[in-house]
Amino acid sequence: MSMQALNRLVARSIIDPTVLQAFGAGRIGDVLGELSFSPGLRRSLAGLQAESWTDFAVMAYRMVQAAEEPAVRIQLPSPVEGLLQEGRTDQEQVA
Amino acid sequence: MNPITREERQWFLRCLAFGLYEYMGAVAPPIPVEGLLKHPPSLFQDDFGVVDMYSTLWDATFARPPNRPGSVFVRIDLPADERRMALARELLSALITSKHGRAVGLVEFLMPDLKDSAEYFARHLLAPEPLVEAYRRRGGEEAGVAEAFGMPEPSARMRWKESQALL
Repeated sequence: MSMQALNRLVARSIIDPTVLQAFGAGRIGDVLGELSFSPGLRRSLAGLQAESWTDFAVMAYRMVQAAEEPAVRIQLPSPVEGLLQEGRTDQEQVA
Repeated sequence: MNPITREERQWFLRCLAFGLYEYMGAVAPPIPVEGLLKHPPSLFQDDFGVVDMYSTLWDATFARPPNRPGSVFVRIDLPADERRMALARELLSALITSKHGRAVGLVEFLMPDLKDSAEYFARHLLAPEPLVEAYRRRGGEEAGVAEAFGMPEPSARMRWKESQALL
C-alpha cells in the first residue's frame, strides 16, 4: 500500500510543481499527508534529508521497501533435534 | 547516499512514465505519445514539440535550438511503430533537460545511463503497467503486444518480460 502511495507521489511530481515546491520548502510532510502512508512511515519519510527530489525519492523507496518486507524470522534448530543428534553420536561412540 | 542501483533507477523511470500516462488519461492502447509532445503539461510548454526531418543519420533526436522550444526532430519516413518508440525515447531527454526536470534533479540522476534509461522509459510509456495488466487479463499474449501497443517487436518482447518480472 505504501509503495503504491510512493509511486503516486513520484509520478505526480513530474507533472505537478506543488510537490517540488513543498519539498524545497521543507513541507513535504503536507503532501505525504494526502497519501495512504502509515503514520509511522509518514513521519519517517517527512524526516528524510536529501539534497534533491530524486535523492529523496530513492531514499523513500528504500525506506518503504524495507518497511514492506516481511519480518525476518530467525531460524534456530529445534532443541529436540539437537538432543536426538547428541544421542545418536553417543550410541555411535559406544558402538 | 549509497549508489543508485539499476532497479531503483528503473522504478523511478516507471513512476515518470506513469505520471505522464495519468496526465494523458489514456484508457486503452496505443498511447498518444505524439499528442503528448504536441500538447504537453503546462510545466513543459517550452520543452516538448515534434519536428519532422529528412535524415538518414538517425531516427530521432531531441534538441533545444536557441530562442525556440525544445523539440524531438524525427525522421519523416519512419514506420509508425518505430516513430512512436523514437518519440517516446527522446521524450526522456526533453524531460531531463527541461527547467522542471533540472529542478527535480533528473540530469544527475539519469544522464549517466541515458541510453538504457531512455529505452526503458519509452517501453513503459508506450505500454503502461495498468494497460499491460488489462491486456493480460483479456487473454493477451506476448505475440500480440507489439500490435496492440503500437511498438516495435523487440521492444514489445522486452516489455512483456519486464511486466512478468514485476508480477
